[in-house]
Amino acid sequence: MREIKLKNIKKVFDGEPILEGINLTIPSGEFFALLGPSGSGKTTLLRLIAGFEQADEGAIFLGSKNITDVPINKRRVNTVFQNYALFPHLNVFDNVAYGLKIKNVKKETIEQKVIRILKTVHLEKHIYKSIDQLSGGQQQRVALARAIVNEPDVLLLDEPLAALDLKLREKMLVELIDLQDELKTTFVYVTHDQFEALTVADRMAIMNADGEIEQVGTPKEIYEFPASSFVASFVGSTNLLKGTIRQEGARNQIEIEDLGLFDLHIPVDKPWAKDGVQVLMSIRPEKFEVSKTELAGFSNHLVGTVDSIVYHGRSTQYHISLPNETVIKVFEQNEEHFPQEEIDYDDKVNIYWQKENVVLLET
Amino acid sequence: MKPVRTAASYSLPIFVLLAYLLMYVPIVVLIFYSFNGGQTPHQWEGFSLVWYRELFASVEILDALRNSLIVAFSSVVLSVVMGLFFVFYSARTVLQNFLFLFYGSLAAPEVVLAVGLLSFFAFFSIPLGLTTLIAAHTLVGLSYVTPILYSSFKGLDYRITEASLDLGATEWQTFTKVIVPMLSPAIMGASLLVFIISFDDFILSFFCSGASTMTLPMYIFATIRSGATPVINALSTLLLVMSSLAVLVFTLFRVRTRVF
Amino acid sequence: MIPALLWQILFLYLPLVFIIFVSFLKDIDYLVVGNLSLQHYTDLLKPIYLKIWGRSLSLAFFTSTLCLAIAYPVAYFLVFRIKRMRNLLLFLLVLPFWANFLVLVYAWFFVLEQGGILNSFLLNLGIISEPLRILNTQFAVYLVMLFCFLPFMVMPIYSSMEKINKSIFEASFDLGANRWQTLTRIIMPLSSSGIRTGFFLVFIPAFGEFVVPLLLGGGKTMYVGSLISFLFLETKSIEWGAAFTCVSGIILIVAVFALNKLLKTIFGKERV
Repeated sequence: MREIKLKNIKKVFDGEPILEGINLTIPSGEFFALLGPSGSGKTTLLRLIAGFEQADEGAIFLGSKNITDVPINKRRVNTVFQNYALFPHLNVFDNVAYGLKIKNVKKETIEQKVIRILKTVHLEKHIYKSIDQLSGGQQQRVALARAIVNEPDVLLLDEPLAALDLKLREKMLVELIDLQDELKTTFVYVTHDQFEALTVADRMAIMNADGEIEQVGTPKEIYEFPASSFVASFVGSTNLLKGTIRQEGARNQIEIEDLGLFDLHIPVDKPWAKDGVQVLMSIRPEKFEVSKTELAGFSNHLVGTVDSIVYHGRSTQYHISLPNETVIKVFEQNEEHFPQEEIDYDDKVNIYWQKENVVLLET
Repeated sequence: MKPVRTAASYSLPIFVLLAYLLMYVPIVVLIFYSFNGGQTPHQWEGFSLVWYRELFASVEILDALRNSLIVAFSSVVLSVVMGLFFVFYSARTVLQNFLFLFYGSLAAPEVVLAVGLLSFFAFFSIPLGLTTLIAAHTLVGLSYVTPILYSSFKGLDYRITEASLDLGATEWQTFTKVIVPMLSPAIMGASLLVFIISFDDFILSFFCSGASTMTLPMYIFATIRSGATPVINALSTLLLVMSSLAVLVFTLFRVRTRVF
Repeated sequence: MIPALLWQILFLYLPLVFIIFVSFLKDIDYLVVGNLSLQHYTDLLKPIYLKIWGRSLSLAFFTSTLCLAIAYPVAYFLVFRIKRMRNLLLFLLVLPFWANFLVLVYAWFFVLEQGGILNSFLLNLGIISEPLRILNTQFAVYLVMLFCFLPFMVMPIYSSMEKINKSIFEASFDLGANRWQTLTRIIMPLSSSGIRTGFFLVFIPAFGEFVVPLLLGGGKTMYVGSLISFLFLETKSIEWGAAFTCVSGIILIVAVFALNKLLKTIFGKERV
């Protein structure tokens, strides 16, 4: 098992730069996700690792070996395609056995390995069926089996669940996690769906529309400590409030126009956050507490008017307008069957948050 | 795979180039020499249109051309009209199983068709001439027209027909006002195809037209056998130009309408 | 709808039945049951006829095979190796298909003549000292057949290759196959129906072809087509011609079935 290292990868298509100086290390055995909007170059990056595309600049390493110029069929990397790309003229067994037959593996060994992998993906009842007799989910698993049976160093998955319906997708996500745990192969998973990425990834990279990596980290790191406003808005939702830092002695505060001063916690890893600097304060909707009555114990307090209420079953989403005419989003979990207070349209409410539950971002 | 620039990767394009060259060199040479001013067909003696002038002055050629055109147009009209009716009345009825019958004339070698027709005409003492030729060409035309119109017709949304009937039109009106206009690209394409096939056809004409009638391809054949003059070069060039235009028009139809 | 069907039956099937019937007659003027005989068929068992059938089968087979050998790489090139010039090259390919067959044959005739272009060209370059006698040889016949039938072979193969989903190639390479393995294991089976269609689009007409052998081969060697033409047009012995045609037809059908099986084994069945 070897780690993947991408050094300074640049790729241009038809004069348009797709990837700008990508540097990334994916440790061996990780379930790694590449998340980003359409056009962010994440699929291109995947295809570079597979060998379907050549980088204009930069190098790709698998372990200590430079595989930048190694042709597709010689890389110990296998791909699960978005549209499965199953061979229509071969049945399930022959599709899965294809890679092994190319390598001239012994017939008995092929049979052994193919049947074993088909059992792992729960297709043992369909071994000799032709491809067009299978459902979408089954075809997807054949594509998976066909790639895995070759025991690659890295398995690349290009939005493999995109064509499946919601319930099936959720089921497959769990199966993929279990599979990766068992095989311990490095999985690189490309998706534009943050739910998928957050679910499966050990670590993930967020790419923006300019073909750069904004942040790499565990799902929790990315969600709770986004490195930029892009990441903060792309993964989950957030409220971004612009303000200026005011430091007086040991007290840190943020001044927001027309709203006043609020207590602020400045973490040590953000030395740029100093007195007079303009910042964006990112507060996730669930970090707010909303109440018609007054509550104690919170560092910060605002008053606002309820603009809209959307009931989501286990949570309720409020849009609340503030005195400076910005609107913030707030989630409240519906913990009580019979809540103590009912919040209604146009109600004046108190909004509370703790100064630690805030992320400071550069503007 | 990223193509590696070895000698091997150039061999395929060169091969293809050679294939195209060999297909086209004789044609290009022919066109070139049709403008040859001199008497000897293979010595270049300066650019001239003399053979084209002779071409248009030749009564035989003009006669043959006239015959070819008559046969071609008639075949087109007959096969398209019959094919259209067949398609309209057979789609969604039992008759569509008989569609395969139309493929017979495509599957057999033309000589067999020609010979069959010839004996048939001989037996019933039908004199050979333009009419027998038209009959023969219509036969072939039908086997091209019917499948094209059929698949095009199948591709139409039948709910449009229902809408027309719902709005009060009779079957005939639906046919003329709705279906035929919608099928017109396919009809145009099929007509062009049949026209060219009939115009270019040699074998059927050779067998079924008798001693007195001659179509253009038959004229070319006879001249080659008896001793070609460069007039043939000029004639050939014009025919090639005609075919090229036909292909262009046909391609444009397919590209614009995608009906078939 | 009736006219169309009637037409087909009247002008195609009836004559065919008629031919079969006639072949059993001794003399076409006496359409009496007592006049039936197998005489014409037994007459055909002479080696001279077997040679003719053999020759036509040979011609058809070699033309088709050579066409296939050239057309397959050309189709592959057009589908997988170029994008920008594709429409132009396709147009150039289809053009001879629509041109008058006789014009194409004549073009080759013109080039290959003894006083012709090819010879002048080679003489001038000093490659040969005497004009080559290419016309009136079997070589000329095969050469012209090859290039006149080539577009018929390329089109169906092109069609079937075009339908292949491109990501299937990436999958094949991804799984370790090189270009040759991908060609034989993936492309060929998936284009096999196109191969067979093209093959028979050439084989069947080539079997009955008589124009090219007549004009370019000197007309001295008999092929199936030329004999049929001779029997029907020059000797007017329709019964004999009918018998010959029927047997030729049967031979053709048998050949087609056999070759179809052969092609299926070589190129694999398309399991779609």
